[in-house]
Amino acid sequence: MTEQGTTHVIEVTINGRLYSRTVEARQLLVHFLRDTLDLTGTHIGCDTGSCGACSIILNGKLVKSCMMLAPQADGAVIETVEGLANDGELNPLQESFSRNHGLQCGYCTPGMLMAGTYLLRENPNPTEEEIRRGIKGNICRCTGYVNIVRSIMDVAGGHGSEQADGIVGEEQR
Amino acid sequence: MLLKSVNYVRPESVTEALDILSSNEGAAPLAGGQSLTNVLKHRVASVDLLVDISALSELRAITRAGDGSLEVGACVTYDEIDHSPDVRAGHVILAREASHIEDQQIRNRGTIGGNCCLSDPTNNLPPLLVALDATMNIRAVGGTRHVAAEDFFKGYFLTALEPGELLVSITIPPIPVGGGAGYVSLSVATDSKTIVRAAARVRVDGVIEEVRVVLARVASVPIRHHAMEEALRGVAPTAELVRAAAELIGSDVEPISDGHGSSEYRREMARVVARRAVLAAIEEGGRK
Ligand SMILES: Cc1cc2nc3c(=O)[nH]c(=O)nc-3n(C[C@H](O)[C@H](O)[C@H](O)COP(=O)(O)OP(=O)(O)OC[C@H]3O[C@@H](n4cnc5c(N)ncnc54)[C@H](O)[C@@H]3O)c2cc1C
Ligand code: FES
Ligand code: FES
Repeated sequence: MTEQGTTHVIEVTINGRLYSRTVEARQLLVHFLRDTLDLTGTHIGCDTGSCGACSIILNGKLVKSCMMLAPQADGAVIETVEGLANDGELNPLQESFSRNHGLQCGYCTPGMLMAGTYLLRENPNPTEEEIRRGIKGNICRCTGYVNIVRSIMDVAGGHGSEQADGIVGEEQR
Repeated sequence: MLLKSVNYVRPESVTEALDILSSNEGAAPLAGGQSLTNVLKHRVASVDLLVDISALSELRAITRAGDGSLEVGACVTYDEIDHSPDVRAGHVILAREASHIEDQQIRNRGTIGGNCCLSDPTNNLPPLLVALDATMNIRAVGGTRHVAAEDFFKGYFLTALEPGELLVSITIPPIPVGGGAGYVSLSVATDSKTIVRAAARVRVDGVIEEVRVVLARVASVPIRHHAMEEALRGVAPTAELVRAAAELIGSDVEPISDGHGSSEYRREMARVVARRAVLAAIEEGGRK
């Protein structure tokens, strides 16, 4: 049993690096990432679990880090947007967002990238509808989603790009 | 957001969790946290000690018994329900509904137990569990008791749970031979807040032998519509008769009015979703 208390020592592996810190039980996981560890790639939008800007992958599952407390992450393996690029080189999904104008202000982008990463792991060849449902928990105020869907589609396996063209047609109708 | 200072503990067994809950007045179980975290942020309830039950293996199993009944641990997540072969084998409607809760992130954390214990009238699973005649298995330090889902939901954010009790699992009987279940929601958008819902379970053998019709968002808790059930029992499962039975939903239900729909609109739509849920249940029964 973890001892009952208002502070806890937690160990978390984030993007392959082990961190050990003393945290207050009341600290939201997103604040642990941003304020305690200075991993500010993960954003805070609504702070109510509605916008997805704070999405991370925890033990292989996409979650909203504003909806968890830091001690709940003790022992967890976490992936954040900082872990996507390799030595400053964008990964294929990030490249695709750049190429397809999948971002404008960029506020939602870390969450979108993590949602896209999770979606493509679970379902490497999603349909447009599956992509739209996969990013339903992530709000974008700028793009209208079309280019985000296209960005994800563009790196998906199989007939991804064919369908991406279909999206353009549909939006223009 | 900075929360009020709170204690946190992760017990290693249900017995340990129950001991802590019963000896600390301000303690609350923390399951998926997809509602409770917001409750803490908004400081609408005062919790001194969070008892994190989410990882307890005793609460995380799904088992299908020889008779086809399903037992789902309270801390099984919506996503796990959606992907469980045992759920899909006999209760595909539960998997389907779990897969339509809000979004992937919430489905990865939110639990069937939390969905019920919150007793939020907009939550997806309570009406379905009432329609499927589920039993809520509850443990306290003193022992175990069983409450029918129909009697579990008591009001807005109110259940039959007493302080110190934990919902440990939910047992859902098999859907009978010749039977089926249906669930229809009228929502603001795909997988979103619901204006009105209906869930139904039927058994047909020439005529409708058994039927449960449950309406949600017309009252503070899911309610069975006994008059509609009565009108359907013993009649042929035809679209006209189901429509006529749904017309019995009248001034006996008094839904709330809000930005998404007036009381009258909700009542009118309750007839539509109830009819469709019963027809879907009949159709599913016919296919088996
Ligand atoms: C943006 C957003 C949208 C949402 N939309 C929907 C929706 O459309 N449909 C829907 O159904 N839900 C929705 N939810 C709520 C979500 O499904 C929650 O997961 C659910 O209401 C609570 O489950 P939980 O496991 O997260 O419980 P928690 O938040 O951990 O707990 C909820 C309450 O139940 C108690 N509790 C939990 N488990 C037990 C137990 N085993 N025994 C006794 N008490 C227990 C807790 O003490 C607490 O009071 C939404 C949530 C968010 C943030
Ligand atoms: S900040 Fe977490 S969902 Fe909006
Ligand atoms: S790019 Fe601005 S919110 Fe999505």
